[in-house]
Amino acid sequence: MKIAAIAVNTFREGIRDRILYLPFFFAVVAVVFARVLAILTVGDRVKIIKDVGLASISLFGMLIAVLIGTGLVYKEIDKKTIYTLLAKPIERWQFLLGKFLGLVLILFVLTAAMALVFLAVVLAHTSTIDGRLVLAVTFIFLELVLVTAVAMLFSCFSTPILSSVFTLSFYIIGHFSWGLQTLIENSRPGPARVALRALYAVLPDLENFNYKTDAVYGLKILPQYYAFSALYGLAYTLFVLALAVLIFKKRDFV
Amino acid sequence: MRAVRAVRRGFTSLALTLILLGSGAGLMALKSEVDRIPRQKIPGASVIYIPSGKFLKYATLGYSSLAADLIYLWAIQYYSTYTVVDRFQNLEHIFSIIAELDPRYTDPYEVGALIAAYEARDLNLAYKILDLGLAKNPDQWLFPFEAGHYAQMAKDYETAKRFYGKAMRIPGAPEIVKRLYAAAGFKTMDLKTAWEMWLEVRDTAADERTRKIADNHLYQVKSAVDIGVIRAALAQFRTRYHHLPVGLEELERVRILAPVPRDLDGRDYLYDPQKGEVSPPSIWWKR
Amino acid sequence: MVTVLKVEDLHKTFASGFIPKKRPILKGVSFSVNSGEIFGFLGPNGAGKTTTLKCALGLIFPDRGKIEIFGRHHLDAGAKRRVGYLPEQPYFYDYLTASEFLDFYGQLFLMKKGERKEKAAALLRQVGLERAADLPLRKFSRGMLQRVGLAQALINDPDLVLLDEPLGGLDPLGRKELRDIIARLKQEGKTVFLCSHILQDIEMICDRVAIVAGGRVVSQGALQDLISEKVLYTEVTLSGLAEEDLIDLGEPVSVRSDRILIKVFQESNVETLLDLVRERRGRVHSLVPRTETLEDIFVEIVNRS
Repeated sequence: MKIAAIAVNTFREGIRDRILYLPFFFAVVAVVFARVLAILTVGDRVKIIKDVGLASISLFGMLIAVLIGTGLVYKEIDKKTIYTLLAKPIERWQFLLGKFLGLVLILFVLTAAMALVFLAVVLAHTSTIDGRLVLAVTFIFLELVLVTAVAMLFSCFSTPILSSVFTLSFYIIGHFSWGLQTLIENSRPGPARVALRALYAVLPDLENFNYKTDAVYGLKILPQYYAFSALYGLAYTLFVLALAVLIFKKRDFV
Repeated sequence: MRAVRAVRRGFTSLALTLILLGSGAGLMALKSEVDRIPRQKIPGASVIYIPSGKFLKYATLGYSSLAADLIYLWAIQYYSTYTVVDRFQNLEHIFSIIAELDPRYTDPYEVGALIAAYEARDLNLAYKILDLGLAKNPDQWLFPFEAGHYAQMAKDYETAKRFYGKAMRIPGAPEIVKRLYAAAGFKTMDLKTAWEMWLEVRDTAADERTRKIADNHLYQVKSAVDIGVIRAALAQFRTRYHHLPVGLEELERVRILAPVPRDLDGRDYLYDPQKGEVSPPSIWWKR
Repeated sequence: MVTVLKVEDLHKTFASGFIPKKRPILKGVSFSVNSGEIFGFLGPNGAGKTTTLKCALGLIFPDRGKIEIFGRHHLDAGAKRRVGYLPEQPYFYDYLTASEFLDFYGQLFLMKKGERKEKAAALLRQVGLERAADLPLRKFSRGMLQRVGLAQALINDPDLVLLDEPLGGLDPLGRKELRDIIARLKQEGKTVFLCSHILQDIEMICDRVAIVAGGRVVSQGALQDLISEKVLYTEVTLSGLAEEDLIDLGEPVSVRSDRILIKVFQESNVETLLDLVRERRGRVHSLVPRTETLEDIFVEIVNRS
């Protein structure tokens, strides 16, 4: 399949780019450093390890997502490798989808590797592997997939630096949505409120994927919450990808 | 010509090496000088200036529990730094920030309350912090229990009874709470009683955390008792010999205090012969 | 005579910058390429050669005009399957080896694994890169990239090969090799469309050319029709005569102690000059008639438009 060929090629090209190993290395260092931090605390040591571990996977995963999402498509356009590719009998949407799946694969491999290190450290301290931690990491991954899609969308029409800024803004806005919620509650009913509500519906709510605290405290989450979050993530990703295809469709490659 | 060039090259590398060594040595010397200057604050103290936990919760973008962990870690170091004399000014503020960021994090409530009770000597603040902890974590009987304990040690029996009553009603509270509630009115909480109480809590503890906390309290009680004994022995020594002993083992030698008591972990107490002061080797809440 | 590529009245204006400034590049380009020929597309820099080519490939969308490849709409998948493209200054994936790269592109044509491997190996041999098959592309020199680019253009055994400035940046040996490859493609029955501004090479290999200037095709036709066989002048290098003797016969270009190079404009004067040399017992070192070249035509046409 052509899309698979592009995905595999993107994966190969990306995974051989050594720049990705930097955030991965830092993530591993952070997880190991968590152990050191845990010694300094008074009380629950494992909590520190879990918090730092999950936060590292999330943070450095985000870095990787932005790096590969903004870089890889732009690089194709900038370095003109895209010319020969699009001259072949392949639709532009197939190209984008293939690229996206390749990026997701890279992200998956690196996230899984970070998660394995993290779970190993937790295992060493608690002698158990908490399924909820695995779920938390899975949802971190879903969030990263969405961020990658957004990064790719921006890289279709702007430089890596701008794309990174936009993608980071997306991430920040996504975690601020409850601020917007407070704003809506405090505002008077009227056109302003309606506008805010519309904005709230469209803007991403990335807190949906945040099960870090719940995993650390072993709180019970109803399966429908997990299901909803997953569906939300998939739907939003699809929306972003469709937008990217639209923008990419009629673009002139000068 | 070539010789001149070679000499010049040799000279430049020599000059470069000298500059490197010189600046490197200078760096290290300066740093050690700066470190020697006594400081008012410790690094990271700008945490104090954060207006509220709510603001920080948004600003940390979903990493709020990690932020809570880090601020708590910082707070532990900060409140162990005895050179910062006005450090208790911000106790409530800092621990309320931590509570905002991660309300379910139980350790900070306890440690915050005991710093308030034992070091800042502000019991009301200790009660406040423990009440906050209970509000956010209604299943934690240990919070009102400790509050009651502090109240009873300060001979505030009304407050003690109130807190024991709260603790009693929480499922999972041990039997001893009921007894304390009943006895709070008339029984003074002296060190002996405190020891027995915490011993029972430790032995009947349902989880590791409760056991550890009870153990820490036991350590504190024992060191309070031991230090009292050692102080009395030191006074006796001074009356007899008109000067302070050089070390605690002298007390043993002259048979004023034999054997010199050790702390709960079996370690020697620290003795300062200049000032004649005794202190425990570990900070009890940091064990 | 089958028309392989037909371009009709192609228009394209680019608007770039924050406050869009319009730049019309193509103002009505029309030409056609016949089956089995080597077609040269010439023009000065910025004339719109690459833009036209990219329109044909679907990389740029024209404002107006029609493009047909093998009689179908140019964006038709069936059309694209029979086309191969080598862009100007090609650049490929840094971390793939040459074989991996060709294999990847083969997959886009849904070629089977065995077929891909065979074709890739054969092509690498054909362009002289079989020793670099497992070298990552980032280690390739400019010339090597050009060759692997040609290989990827031929991976699907296309009937129409589009080459954009393929000879640029190659050394003389490389250029000869490429000319030979292009000639061989013609022998295999393929049609080759070549964008270039290196006229000597065009002159050597092309059958038909179109000259584009100012966004329009200003001249189109068979090379031999465009260039007359007319001799412009004859360059003679001789010795044994003095400069004064030659004044009436032609224009001395360089005068040295032992020999003179002179341009003789009239045929008859060449005869007279040769007689004179024989008479004075001089020597003729070389005699080169200079016919009209493509360069002359090109400069004339472009300046006219």
